[in-house]
Amino acid sequence: MVLLENDSFLTELTRLFQKCRTSGSVAITLKKYDGRTKPVPRKGHPVNYEPADNKCLLRASDGKKKISTVVSLQHHAYSNLLRAHMDGLKKKDKKSKSKKTKATQ
Amino acid sequence: MPYYQTWEEFARAAEKLYLTDPMKVRVVLKYRHCDGNLCIKVTDDAVCLQYKTDQAQDVKKIEKLHGKLMRLMVSKESGAMEMD
Repeated sequence: MVLLENDSFLTELTRLFQKCRTSGSVAITLKKYDGRTKPVPRKGHPVNYEPADNKCLLRASDGKKKISTVVSLQHHAYSNLLRAHMDGLKKKDKKSKSKKTKATQ
Repeated sequence: MPYYQTWEEFARAAEKLYLTDPMKVRVVLKYRHCDGNLCIKVTDDAVCLQYKTDQAQDVKKIEKLHGKLMRLMVSKESGAMEMD
């Protein structure tokens, strides 16, 4: 699992999407992150990490390659990227009788 | 693991689930360009909500919900949860 900076993550994510255009899936996971860097200790051991409330973990994978990043600010670039790449879906097909509803009048 | 039939119900349930325990909930998006479909899953490892679509109009809704949940995660604890 490769932990990247936000910008590199976006670049790599773009690459993942491009690679999977012909076959395969891109899985993206989003989860709130509280800043811990060590596993939860067994009882008796002190937990010493700084609890952070404003971060989330973003992971992406194409089944083989895995990348991740920690996000602490809302990035519009990320949403734009998702929207730009998930464009292979069917466009809504209006029934032919109402196809000229938005014609210039 | 039910697939919701309507986006409205899914979005409402997903947000509700997240607000019950933000630390436990994760959001998974699976996109298959070759098959032309997108699946979104929101789970806290006890409850699992899923929505699947092949419609372009749903992409925007899914991406908005995804962004909304991300915004909730990176914002300080104000807003939805007014806990002490």
